[in-house]
This record gives sequence, C-alpha cells and structure tokens, in this order.
Amino acid sequence: MQKETLNRLQKLNQLRLTDAEETNVLSFFAAREEEMNILNSIDTETVERMVHVMPIETVVREDKVIKSFTREQLQAGAPETTDGYWQVPRLVE
Amino acid sequence: MKYETVIGLEVHIEMATESKIFCSCSAKFGAEQNEHVCPACCGMPGMLPVVNRHVVDLGMNAGMMLNCHINRTTTFDKKSYYYPDLPSSYQTTQWFAPVAVNGTVTIETANGKKDIRIKQIHMEEDAGKLVHDDWTDTTLVDFNRTSVPLIEIVSQPDLSSAEEVVAYLERLRSLLRFAKVSECRMEQGSMRCDVNLSVRPEGSDKLGVRTEMKNMNSLSAIVRAIEYETARHIDALENGTEELVQETRRWDDIKGKSFAMRNKETAGDYRYFPDPNVMPVVIDDAWYDSIKASLPEFPEVKRARYIDAYGLSEYDADMLTQSRALCDCFEAAYAECKNAKEAANWLISDCMNILNKSQKTADQLTLDGKALGELILLVLDGKVGRGNAKKILIAMFDEKLDPAKYAEEQGFIVSNDTGAIEAIVKTVVAADPKSVADYKNGKEKALMALFGKCMRELKGNCDPQVLQKLLKDTIDSL
Repeated sequence: MQKETLNRLQKLNQLRLTDAEETNVLSFFAAREEEMNILNSIDTETVERMVHVMPIETVVREDKVIKSFTREQLQAGAPETTDGYWQVPRLVE
Repeated sequence: MKYETVIGLEVHIEMATESKIFCSCSAKFGAEQNEHVCPACCGMPGMLPVVNRHVVDLGMNAGMMLNCHINRTTTFDKKSYYYPDLPSSYQTTQWFAPVAVNGTVTIETANGKKDIRIKQIHMEEDAGKLVHDDWTDTTLVDFNRTSVPLIEIVSQPDLSSAEEVVAYLERLRSLLRFAKVSECRMEQGSMRCDVNLSVRPEGSDKLGVRTEMKNMNSLSAIVRAIEYETARHIDALENGTEELVQETRRWDDIKGKSFAMRNKETAGDYRYFPDPNVMPVVIDDAWYDSIKASLPEFPEVKRARYIDAYGLSEYDADMLTQSRALCDCFEAAYAECKNAKEAANWLISDCMNILNKSQKTADQLTLDGKALGELILLVLDGKVGRGNAKKILIAMFDEKLDPAKYAEEQGFIVSNDTGAIEAIVKTVVAADPKSVADYKNGKEKALMALFGKCMRELKGNCDPQVLQKLLKDTIDSL
C-alpha cells in the first residue's frame, strides 16, 4: 500500500495515525498484499462464489409492527435533545 | 458540432411495507419525530438486524416486473460513511449480489419505442432526516425514516433526453404501482431520483465527464435540471467556460441552477464489504414461484383487454388502467353486474369524485367491487333510482355494507305501486296549472319541471320511465 492510499483511508475512517503506527500499518498491508497476489493468481473461474464462510442462510420475519422502546427510553443517554430530536453540532454552513 | 446527452438514473423507491427492513418499527410516513425507533434502527451497539420477508417479496416483484434475472442467493453489504443521519455509520445495502440484475424497461416517446436496460435492483435501508435549526445553530436528527426499506433501480446510461427520462419514470411508477411495490409518490419522497448526466459529440463512443444530481423529487424539476445541465456541459465543451469535473451537484429549482456539492465518491471510498450480521437470503423454488404467480397483468395488456373483450372506449380503458385499485374494483364489479360500460362510468365519474373530495388518489380506493356491481344491478333492474344509488355509494365509501339491504333500510326501493304514483302525479299536476298549460303549448321543459316535482314527492323511488308515461297520460287526459 502506498502512503497516499493510507492517507486517504485515514481521512475516510476519521483516523489519525502516528508516524510509527503508519510504518507498522504499511508493512502489515505489504505482507497482506503479497498473500492476496498469491490468491489472485489462482484460477477461480469455475468455482462458485462463496457468499458466507458457513453454509448458512438468514431467517426472515413477518412484516408486522411491534413497538419496543419509547423515544424517552432511547434518548435517555443522549448528550443533547430538543423536542424529541437528537441534537448534534451544525452540519451545513 | 452536434452533441448528445447520455443519462443514467438511480431511482430510490420506498417500499409499501408495514415495518422497517431490519427491525419491527413502523415504516409509516408522517409520525412525530423519533416515534418509530428502536435500538436496532438507532444503531445502538450489539443490535442485530432481522430481514423483513416482505421486503424480499417486493424486491423480487419489482425485479420480475422489470424483466430482471433474480439472484436466488442475495446478500447484504455494508457501505461506510459518516453522517449523523446514519446512526451506525454504515448503510446496509446490496453490492455484491443484489436481488435483481440485467432487466429492461420499454418506454414510448414521440420518437417511438426504446428499451432501457436495467443494471440492477438492490434492497437497502433509508437514512434518517436532518433538520438544520438556524435559531440554535444546531442540527436536529429524526430517525423515523432510518431503516425504512428502499429499492434502488439502477439503469444503464441508455437515456438521451428529458422526454425519455420522464417516460422512463412514468413507466416505472405505473409498473411498480400495479405490482403494489410502492405508491411511488414523488411529492411524499417515496420515489426519488439521482440523475447521472454527461455530454459527448454525436456518434462518439466515449463517455464525457459525468455529473450527478441527487434526490430530485418532481418530474418538472428533473426536466429543468436536465436541460440546464446539458446546456452547461455543452457550453463548457464548446466555449471552455469552465472545466467539467466528476462531482455531485445540487439542483436549486427556484434559482433554476445546479451547484457543486462535493467531489463524486467512487465505490472504493465506501469500503463495501459483506455484512457479517445478515446471513445470505436464499430464495427457494416455492418462494420464487409464489411471487411469480402473484404478478399482475401489465397495464397495457389490461387496457387492450378492456377495449377488445369488454368493449370499453380508449378513454375509459386509459382512465381505469392508471391505477391497479381501479382495475381490481372494475373487474370485481363487472363480474357481478356484467355491464362494463356502467361499471366504468360509476368508477371514473362517481367514485373518482368522492375520492377527489376527500383528497385521495385512485390508488387509495378501498371500495368493495362486488358491492359496487350489486349496486349497479339495483339501478339497472329499476329497483333503486340513480340519485339514491349515488347516496348509497357515498355510504359504501364509509363502511362495508350490503347495497340492497341498505336501500331497503333507507327507503330507497323504487315503488311498483302505480296507484300511489298516479295519486302523487294528479296532486302535482293540479297544483301547477301554469306548467301544464306551458307543456300543452309545446314547452318540453315544463314537463321536466313537473317530473322533478313528482320525483321529489316520491323521494326518488320511482322508475323514471313509468313516471314519465303516467305524467304524460295524466296531462293528455285533461
């Protein structure tokens, strides 16, 4: 991985790594990239896509409304609320 | 140089379900802020999603209506971005194996028919709503809409004008309303559209720089935005007025201009990865077949059948096939009364009037078609007068009732007692010698006035032809 990609990922993930951490992450990903290159060199054209590591499928529920919590219960731990809204710092200039 | 516009659309449609896609909160529009929320749709740690089966039903349904291939194993993925309207910091959507792929929608414009290819239809959760409060200089968050189920229909860049885009959206709306996937009401935000547009020299096979306008929610705004954006791109290419960059733009319908919002993200920026919390959805044969069997007849097939088999006019067939609810009611009424023209007339004029008065659309019609057929028969058999039948119809919109029984209770059954009718005719004629004289002097209208008076006295419960004959006979005998 290039430094440039790492910087972009830091920005997207809202992370700020120290120089030492950056060096570690870059060497970690360099090793993973080599492993991926080996995997990519295998012809998987005829192999069915694996959608999950376990042969498992989801359960589904019926389309039925069930009220579980009240607004007050859910907002009990919120730092700030106004008129039933969660309140956050202004987003748009 | 001549240019051509290349447009691809991403259309988001809120599905007509009772509950949200991954939790049991209500998905209904219009509640008080944060009334339809629970720890799952608020993104609280440790909560696990459980897929709403009906969302998959409707996803498949939409895919089949648009001639798509249905992926029998369909999976959900996480799309990461940070914004307060998305409490878990990722949207659960479908990236690697969406429910439906590779479809077509045929549109018709003044230039004829054209097939628009559908790249994919995926199921996903909606984000919450942000309210920017100028007074307190803060942003307020409402999570009622968070996790409301959506399908996103992604077209290939096969559209080339505002006219084609409108035809495409109208066709989608008609098909999805018929399949009861969604009401597709742009004004309520249950159908929203992102327009991806680029311009290139005519005949070129290379795509130009693409810009995206997000969350367009009216057809007229979409038309204006496409015309503006096309002109802006051509101006930039011809005259070098600006450098075109790939970006997301906001359309301001009041100013009639688009404005740059942010550089367009690429798929990599969203770091899609399979959602480990939702297992693959496997659609077995029984599930697939049950959805296939539930598909409605396409609106244009119905329209042709109404004209050919029922002898309706093109106008009547067009009016009825605008709405699945109207069609269902019409077919049930016809099955009962066997008179297509009458059933169509009652629906198109009387029922639509009642709906309009209560500000409802045709899709919101809940009238029992069989009962409407019974009411029509009462009129055709001369048992209830038309005026009184309209009163019964209004009552039928408020409650489920048996029209014959209700007519009897209300005293709306036409009297066959000619003696009683004759007595009233004689009284009315004796009380209005002027109208009698006018009629005898050739004024046809005077007879109608007398007829109206008799009908009022009889409270509408009289066969109009019987009354007219008795009235004429009585005057002639004077």
